[in-house]
Amino acid sequence: MTKIARRTVLKSTAAAAAIAGAPSLARAQARPSAARTIRAVFHGDVPTYDPIWTTANMAAYHGGMVYDTLFGIDEKGEAKPQMVGKYGYDAGNMTWSFELRPGLKWHDGTDVTSGDIVASLKRWAARDGGGQHMMQRVKGIESKDEKTFTISLKERYGLVLDVLSKTSTPVCFMMRKKEAETDPMQKIETVVGSGPFTLNMAETRPGTQYVYDRNPNYVPRAEAPNGISGGKVVKVDRVVFVNMPDGQTAVAALQAGEIDFYEIPQPDFMPQLEADRNIKIQILNQLGQVGLIRPNFLHPPFNNVKVRQAMLHCVKQSDHMKATFGDSKYAKETPSYFAMGTPMENDANTGWFKGGQNFARSKALLAEAGYKGEEVLLMQATNIPYMSNSAQLLAQELRQGGFNVRVEAMDWSNVVQRRSVKNPPAQGGWNIFITSAGGTAVGHPILLAAHAATGGSAWFGWPEDAKHEQLRAQWSVGETLADRQRIAREIQENAWNFVPQVYYGQWVQPAAMRTNIRGVLPVAEIIPWWNVEKV
Amino acid sequence: MLAYIVRRLFLTLPVMALVAVFVFLLLHLSPGDPAAIMAGENATAENIAQIRTKLGLDEPLWKQFALWVLALASGDLGQSLFWGDPVTTLIGQRAEPTISLALTTISFAVIVAITLGVTAAANPGTWIDRGVMGFAVMGFSLPVFVVGYMLIFLFAIELKWLPVQGYTRFAEGFVPWLRNLVLPSLALGMAYVALIARITRTTMLEVLSEDYIRTGKAKGVANRPLLLRHALKNAAVPIVTVVGIGVALLIGGVVITETVFNIPGIGRLVVDAISRRDYPIVQGVIMLFAGLYVLVNLLVDLSYTLFDPRIRY
Repeated sequence: MTKIARRTVLKSTAAAAAIAGAPSLARAQARPSAARTIRAVFHGDVPTYDPIWTTANMAAYHGGMVYDTLFGIDEKGEAKPQMVGKYGYDAGNMTWSFELRPGLKWHDGTDVTSGDIVASLKRWAARDGGGQHMMQRVKGIESKDEKTFTISLKERYGLVLDVLSKTSTPVCFMMRKKEAETDPMQKIETVVGSGPFTLNMAETRPGTQYVYDRNPNYVPRAEAPNGISGGKVVKVDRVVFVNMPDGQTAVAALQAGEIDFYEIPQPDFMPQLEADRNIKIQILNQLGQVGLIRPNFLHPPFNNVKVRQAMLHCVKQSDHMKATFGDSKYAKETPSYFAMGTPMENDANTGWFKGGQNFARSKALLAEAGYKGEEVLLMQATNIPYMSNSAQLLAQELRQGGFNVRVEAMDWSNVVQRRSVKNPPAQGGWNIFITSAGGTAVGHPILLAAHAATGGSAWFGWPEDAKHEQLRAQWSVGETLADRQRIAREIQENAWNFVPQVYYGQWVQPAAMRTNIRGVLPVAEIIPWWNVEKV
Repeated sequence: MLAYIVRRLFLTLPVMALVAVFVFLLLHLSPGDPAAIMAGENATAENIAQIRTKLGLDEPLWKQFALWVLALASGDLGQSLFWGDPVTTLIGQRAEPTISLALTTISFAVIVAITLGVTAAANPGTWIDRGVMGFAVMGFSLPVFVVGYMLIFLFAIELKWLPVQGYTRFAEGFVPWLRNLVLPSLALGMAYVALIARITRTTMLEVLSEDYIRTGKAKGVANRPLLLRHALKNAAVPIVTVVGIGVALLIGGVVITETVFNIPGIGRLVVDAISRRDYPIVQGVIMLFAGLYVLVNLLVDLSYTLFDPRIRY
């Protein structure tokens, strides 16, 4: 029998390990240097590669890397052309015509055509609230030639560019016709965009890291970047989205220089980060988030307007903000029905706020409503700290205001599941749930699904108010900003009477990054990685 | 021996069947709906219902279970509800970090714990003994995540000796691979060290009071060979048993350790899957861990024959 020497075994094992590791080594050697790579941690994992199919912000962050949009908003919130070159509308303002700018190519090297755009618009409009609002007034979207397409309207509609350029999710990203013809209810699986980055599938590990490489064939616009409009000039070779669920680890990794950017440091960590001279804090989304308390219009007691009005007098927004953010400079109150800081912000019918928390007034309104102490079921999402804190506080406030409240603790996925149930609370339904929405969307009467008051077809809570809908329709054809602001005041005047929802505050989320990261553009809802450099 | 192994392997079947039933029912009867999570914040009830239908979640529970078991019998753990990838592929992608972490932790824990346990037993009642036992109590009492954050603060933030988080594949170099595993292994190994050190000490004290040890001493056997060659080998059976039992502790700890140190292993995979109600992944990983645990216990039983020739199967 042949003897196998120990040395031979060791040599063979080493050789086998080297062969097995060769592909990894080759990949490691092909990687861009750390100086040309940004490693960023966000609030969660990319749930899908299809940013049209879901409203999750992480999917929009992914979408912003690989896909491009027809229009983008600048820092003032005005729509500016992005993939579009020339555009305009006919004399009657009923047909919009758009021509794609030259040099647009998909990541597979083929040209972007108007056929791709038409298919993309139709799929996006099937999923997006703003898109659906527009499509109700659209006669047709047609490709005229390789580079030109039109949107014909049935009636005057002033929001075409607003809707196409919005940053609230789902963002109107353009895809190849092949993917765009996928059923809107199905997710696309192939990621081929025309944006400034490409997804490196070989190095991406779902749930762990998503690797985006600079698209060398991308032709940016000549204008300077502004918001998400202007030239998308990529100044690094690679951006890696690292999925790091533990906030404390992310903060430590940022301090140690292992990551370059952390989107959502918790308020507890802010003093520690602010004291670190290698870290800088930047507020990217100046409008932040608005906290929403949604009452259910379908069942007692919130099917009574006076009961909903009573709730307005119970909620002290500053207490809710303190409960989560402490005495923070990052949170404030929002008496405006449209988020503070947006063009539609106003102070119409805000006497309930100016008068401060008033439990006596709440009890008087409940008495007028004939409230007999029916139980109010409040859903508390325990796994999302700000929602959980606010639910506990709200329960106490409502009790002091004369309500009989029962808090039901569950995780957010259960809230999402249960809030769609229209049955009475005793049969699996609910009375109140707490959530939040982006300030940009809250400041826009059309783009936020929660602003609709169309009863059974409205967003969860199903508010119904004919005047509200009439005013929203008027707003959408407002000619000037002044017109829209005037109508927005009327909407608010009416909204704070019928109370489709109550707010518990508005806050911004500061991002933390290493001081050598420069050029992160302040944009609501999306974090652009073009223009960013590592010095 | 072979007959014993075959018999034991057959006995694992009812165990695995029970685990399968338990895992399936626990997941499917607990609140939470993957379709609602997938549909997103602004989804309508119709959107959620459509996704539920597409995923087959609207089928009767017995039918979902039967389909899963049939697939399982052919080695198919199913596909992730979120990613659409086969669960086996996802587990395969995450296996290396978890195996690396488990191996380094077990190696570290066994070496340190046996050394500490033997040292304590050789010096009963002294400050060394009390120190080792004090350390064992502390190691067993401190949660993994607390130890983890303390180690990160000291060795990564303050001293900057080791990385805070992440994992480097073995193929990219032994030193980078090891650097990423030192802190997680220390954190995860603490409880394991405590457990093994205590049982080693107790068993060694028992063995050291045996007549043959006294005879050995009387015949002039040096202390070290007496402890390591004569006493430790005879104390090995209970120690190996505890090492085996401790694998369950290790599996639980891996889940937390991988989260704290951001290691893209199977523990992280299952945590993410639980929060998304990605049933096939959770079921697949639990079945894998259960199978692994059964296998480790079988190996432990077989290893008894090495330490005690009187044991025969």
